[in-house]
Formats: sequence, structure tokens, C-alpha cells
Amino acid sequence: MNVPPRLQSLFSHGILESILVLLCILLAFTASGFLTADNLLNVLRNVSMQGVIAFGMTMVIISGEIDLSVGSAVAFAGCLTAFLTLKLTGDWFMLPLPLAIAVSILVTLAVGFAVGTFTGFMRNRYQVPSFITTLALMTGLSGAAELITNGFPLTPFPAWYNFIGGGYLLGIPFPALLFLLTFAILQFLMNYTSFGRSVYAVGGNAEAARLSGINVKRVKTMVFGITAFLAALSGVMVSSEIMSGTATTAKGWELDIIAAVIIGGTSFMGGVGRIWGTMIGVVFLGVIMNGMTLLNVSEYWQHVVRGAIILVAVLLNLLQKGRAGR
Amino acid sequence: MSTQVHTLQTLALRKEYPGTVALNDVTVSFTGGQVHALIGKNGAGKSTLVKLIAGAIEPTGGSILVDAREVQLQSPQDALQRGIVAVHQELSLVPELTVAENILLGRLPKKPGFGRSIIDWRQVYTRAEHVLAGLGVSIDVRARAGTLGVAQQQSVEIAKAMSYEPSILILDEPTSALAQHETQRLFDLLRMLAARGVVLLYITHRLQELREIADTVTVLRNGLLVGTIGIAEANPSTIVHMMFGEVVQRVRPADLSARTEPFVEVQSFSRQGAFTDINFTVNKGEILGIAGLLGSGRTELLRGMFGADPPDTGELIIGGERITPSDPQQMKDLGVVLTPENRKDQGLVQLLNTRINLCLASLNRLSSHGFITQAREQSSVDRNIRELDIKVANTEAPVAFLSGGNQQKVVVGKWLNTSPRLVLFDEPTRGIDIQAKQQIFQIIWDLSKRGISCIVVSSELEELLDICHRILIMRQGRIVTDVRPGEISLENLFAVCMKEEV
Repeated sequence: MNVPPRLQSLFSHGILESILVLLCILLAFTASGFLTADNLLNVLRNVSMQGVIAFGMTMVIISGEIDLSVGSAVAFAGCLTAFLTLKLTGDWFMLPLPLAIAVSILVTLAVGFAVGTFTGFMRNRYQVPSFITTLALMTGLSGAAELITNGFPLTPFPAWYNFIGGGYLLGIPFPALLFLLTFAILQFLMNYTSFGRSVYAVGGNAEAARLSGINVKRVKTMVFGITAFLAALSGVMVSSEIMSGTATTAKGWELDIIAAVIIGGTSFMGGVGRIWGTMIGVVFLGVIMNGMTLLNVSEYWQHVVRGAIILVAVLLNLLQKGRAGR
Repeated sequence: MSTQVHTLQTLALRKEYPGTVALNDVTVSFTGGQVHALIGKNGAGKSTLVKLIAGAIEPTGGSILVDAREVQLQSPQDALQRGIVAVHQELSLVPELTVAENILLGRLPKKPGFGRSIIDWRQVYTRAEHVLAGLGVSIDVRARAGTLGVAQQQSVEIAKAMSYEPSILILDEPTSALAQHETQRLFDLLRMLAARGVVLLYITHRLQELREIADTVTVLRNGLLVGTIGIAEANPSTIVHMMFGEVVQRVRPADLSARTEPFVEVQSFSRQGAFTDINFTVNKGEILGIAGLLGSGRTELLRGMFGADPPDTGELIIGGERITPSDPQQMKDLGVVLTPENRKDQGLVQLLNTRINLCLASLNRLSSHGFITQAREQSSVDRNIRELDIKVANTEAPVAFLSGGNQQKVVVGKWLNTSPRLVLFDEPTRGIDIQAKQQIFQIIWDLSKRGISCIVVSSELEELLDICHRILIMRQGRIVTDVRPGEISLENLFAVCMKEEV
């Protein structure tokens, strides 16, 4: 406690950032083609679809909950957008394609939010652990995606639709811009709003938060709602990138996303974590994967390395916490 | 079992926690064949002494002697091996297991063969039956513990303790859950054990039991041994005097007078198992104390008024408006707030820093359109720190680093930022030092002068006499009477809480 607060904070917050910078320097020298604008933008594009969800997941984990359904929600949202577009341009509605797509996207995002509030409702009303509800949703949404697509990719999209997931704006991949925008909004939400404060308080000690007159149930519902909304957004992005609604996309994403959040220093016990940390965690994993691919490391090894990184990052976090608590 | 008379002694036994001395060089001895009562107020050091003897915590200094030989107790296992067994207030049976399994938990007899890894169920039941028979109780050893009544569970706990063949048995408020006839049977049991030479240490807050069961009475106060007296000398006023000491009258402001304008009226508040048909009125600026024993329903009543555990029936009338408390958010908006008994787990979010904790209840006031900045918070935080004299080196460090007194001030500050009209204080001075206590009193008096009503629940009866305008006394979930501090002595107040005449 003799360390000046500024230095202490640099120490406890800066480790992951430092490692990321070192890693980038190392890759710049060893992996040819790493340090080029194209490659770096590519890294950003590659992480953006999981990344938008990771920021929401950070809020969920800070609030002391978990959401395992995001991967299936991505697949479901992509399929729903394609399905609705088909229906809306079909015989019954006969909407023009651009309008049909716009309506489909909006409905998909709204459905995403509603699915999240359902998890919150089950948690608040019946005390069903979010692990269970979202585990059920993981299976259920995946099945629903298969049902509405009949198990085959739906491809109602025109070529310009590819812009959302594959286009460029001012030389920057559009999905990367969505990723950065999501970061900015959630960073602001968590740090500069009373809602953000409440999320930390609810995760730190739900009973103390309740006894401080904070509406714990609403906070949890909103957190799940926002995260499922972001999963739906990610689903739209994915459907645009692959130009179809495909039920088998995004399998296992929930674990990659949780890994990025944990690497970013968010505590699984709730109450502790930062949106910025998740940004670092997401980019860190993206850079590692990109670097290993450039270095021709086999995919099997990439998985092993990623597993090791998760463990080491969590250990680092715990060690730091132990030191800060002295 | 031998009939050797055992002894237990402590020599200058000491336990320090950061900032406090929980047990201050206590030298005391207990001999077998007698029941020794250990009494004292909350925080007097009883449970610290018991935990040290039972090996649950290690002393900072001094020593423990069993049968005149010094013992090092580094864990409850060490204590068990020396024959020291403690039965704690909360029952610790595993409800899903049978009585026999509970009694022999962790020591189930095994059959020979397969590396002695197979449980010998016949042995389990016969041994458990044997232990119970030795205590003269008949309980089906194959019944699941969870299906038994509280008294029977208590007997099983004691049987479990006895199965270790203790030379020293500690019972922490064993009768708190028992009915009268069950208490009698427990006492018979204790006398039987004493006759076998076992050292019996009996913690209680029921003074009327002392004469029935105890042979000696040992009193602790503020971590110090006040003394041990024989039961013959132990009349209630002596004991109360020993427990509370010379009461220091606190500096009470002269101009402390409550207005007669009613602010909140509580009407027929009831909650199953907590409190029954509570009716009273708090005036504007009045400081109303609630006295009563643990379990008298005082904490539950405050939580009911705050909507934390809403009452089953009853209403509050606040400024002519009829309110049914349903949740803390609603009551906060009406200006009724609670500083909870358990400030660590319920009053504060320990992980978060002092600034955020101070602003936690007033986020709506501090933010505009939901947006909040540290600058906006800082001015309110600075004012809290100045007005409440909170000693905090760094408002950005976790609130867990603060001392108990300062944490309590953060809880109070958190509520002052919401402009409350009625503050419910549950044990506001528990575990904080004398100076901080005086400051908390001053805060309560200041609130009163500003016309804010306060209700104070405290086990420290002398504090209630010092700070309140009026004191309600609760017993078994009901308000039995109300008194004014000038008109009742500490001994009498204590006696009324205990339902006992001095």
C-alpha cells in the first residue's frame, strides 16, 4: 500500500498490454507479413464478430452470471435474418429487397434482445441459474436455426449485403468499425453511467446492492438483453460475410468469447472486470492466432497454445490480485 | 470412560486482530465435575475464547493447559485429539445423512478386507446406538437427521461430541432453540457428564438458567476477564454489573428534544416467524431505540420496514400516506433507509472502492440522464468524508481496507446522500472502537436535530439509554413495553428484556 496509486494501477493494469506489445514486436521480426496494414486490419476483422459479443459477455460475467447461448444465438440470428428476408420478399408480403433486409435485421436484433431478457426473467423469477437457462438456449436456438433453414443454407441476399460483414469504409473493414463502435459504447456504459455502476455492484454483492435500493433484477435482465442483442448483431455480420443463413456457423464461440473475457482480467466471481481488458484479450487472441498462422504453426498446436494462454493469463491475474491485497 | 477429574486452564491467553484485541491476557481455570457458565455481552470475547480452546483459531500469546499440561492447538483436529469438543450454536448436522452417520462422521467403522475400505454398517448402527443410550436418549439411529426436531438434533450433536469421549465439552448457547422441557433434559445430561469428571463450559445469555445449571459464573467484558464467582454469590444485579461495568455517561447534547409531530406510524406489522402485530409511532426527529435479545425480532422488524424482507401484513403511514413496504428501492424513494447489522456483507460492496460505495444508493441523484462522472461524484464524496470524518487514505482503494468504524461511516454516508427522512440503524456500533462509537452517536444526534427520525437497534443497552429519546422493548417478536431512558436503570432495562425481575 506504499506504492503510489498511479504506479500501482499501472502495474496491475499494464501487464497484459505490455505482453501484447512484446508479442507484436516479436512477431514483427519473426513472421513475415505480420506488420503490414493489411494484415493488422485483417486481424481486427477476424476478431470483430466474436469481439462485439465479448464486450457484452464482460458485463454478464461482471454481474456474476454467464451466457453459454451466444454461439447458437449467432447462428440463429443469421438464419432468422435470411429466413425473414425470404418470407418478406415472398408471395405474401412482396416487399422490395432492401426494405425486406432492413426489416429482417431489425426484427432479428429485437428477437435477440428478447431472448436475453428471457434468460434474465428465468433468473429473477424462478432463480434458474443462467448457466442452465443459457445451456438450454444453446441447444434450443441451434435447433431452431436448423428448423427454419431445414438444415440447408438460405441464400436470399444480394451482393451489396456483403458490405456489413465484408466491406470497407474509408479503408477499414466495416465489421471492425462495428466492433470498435460497440467497444466505445460499452466502455462508456460501464464507466460513465449509473447503470454501469449498478452492474459492478450487483456482481460484487447482489444483496448489498439490493439493500442500497438498486433494482438488481432489472440490471440482470438488461445485461442479458444487451449481450443477446450483440450476439444477434454478430449473427447478422456473419450472415453477411458468408452471404447466407447457415445453422452450423459459430459453433463453440461461447467458449472462445469467455476465454477472451477471462484473459482480459474479468473475474469469474463477479464484480471485477473492464471492457478495455476484454478489448486487449480479444486482440491478444487474434494476434496470437494470426501470428501462428503466418508462422505455419499447425492448427492443433494453435489450440494447445490458446489453452495455455488462458491458464497463464488467469494465474497472472490472481497473482496480481494477491499482491494488491497485501 | 474414565472418571478422572479433568482440568482446563488458560494462562495470559491473548488474541489480537488488526486494530483490536479480542481477548486480552485472560487467565482462568475450570475444573471437571462442575458446570461453568461463561457470559458477557456480544463482542465481550466469549466466542474468541471458545474458538481458541477448540483450536479453531490460534492465540497471539499465552497458553492453554489441559490436565495441567500445556497443549498446542493448531487445528480443531488437535483439539479433538486432546479431548476438547465444542458444540456450536448453529447445528452442524448433515440433514441428508442418518443419525448414526452424523454421529460417526469421518470415523465410520470399516470392515476388514479390500484395504478396509468398506463400511461396516452393523457396527455403525450399534456404536451410534451405544452412544445415544449412554446419554439416556432414544432416537432412531437410521432416521435422517433432517427429519428430527431441533431438540433431537441438539441431542445428536451432543452424542456426536460425546462419541469423541471428551474431557472438555464446550456448549455455545445450546438452549437457544429448545423448549422448556427439552432444556430440562439437556441439563440432566450435562449434570450426568459433569459427574463423570468432564469439564463443562456453558455459554449462555439466559441469566435465569444460570441458577439451575451452573456451578460457577465467569464474566468477560471487552476481551478482559472480569472475574469468576460461585453461583451462590451470583444474583442478577451483580452479574449485570459485571457484564456492563461502570457505565460511562456519554456527552449528550443538551438541546436534544424530539418534536411531537408524528412522522411514521407502523400499523399491525406481522411476519410469520419474525414479529407479530407491531404498532408504534416515530416522531419527526425522534431517536427511538429498540431493545431486545438476539432473536427477539428487532432486526427482522427493521428489515420489514425497509422492505428487505417485506412483512406479511401491516402498513406504514408516512406523511398521511399508507404504504405497504415491498422492496428497498421503494422505501429508499420514500426516505426510509437501513444500515444493516452485517455491514460487511450487506452494507457495502467490499470489492469496490470507497467512492463508488458512497455513491451506490444515490446514483440517480448524482447522474444526469443516467450519465455519471467521477467529478460529479467527487464533490459529494468529499463532503461525506469531511462531514462524517471518514479516515480514508485513498477513496479509489477497495472499501475493505477501511477499519470497521470507517466502513460504518461509509454505510451511513451512502444513505445521507439520498436525503433520508427515517434512518434505521441495526447494531450501528458493533465491532467499532470507542471513538468511532462516539462519532456515530454524534451523527445520530445531528440527524435528529435536522428533523430526521432514527430507529436504533442495539445489543448495547447502555448505549440505547445514552442516545435515545424512547426505547421499545421487544421479546419473542412482540413489543412488550416502551420506556424512557431517564426513568429506567440499566439493570431494570436488562431485566425487562430478559423477562426477569431484579
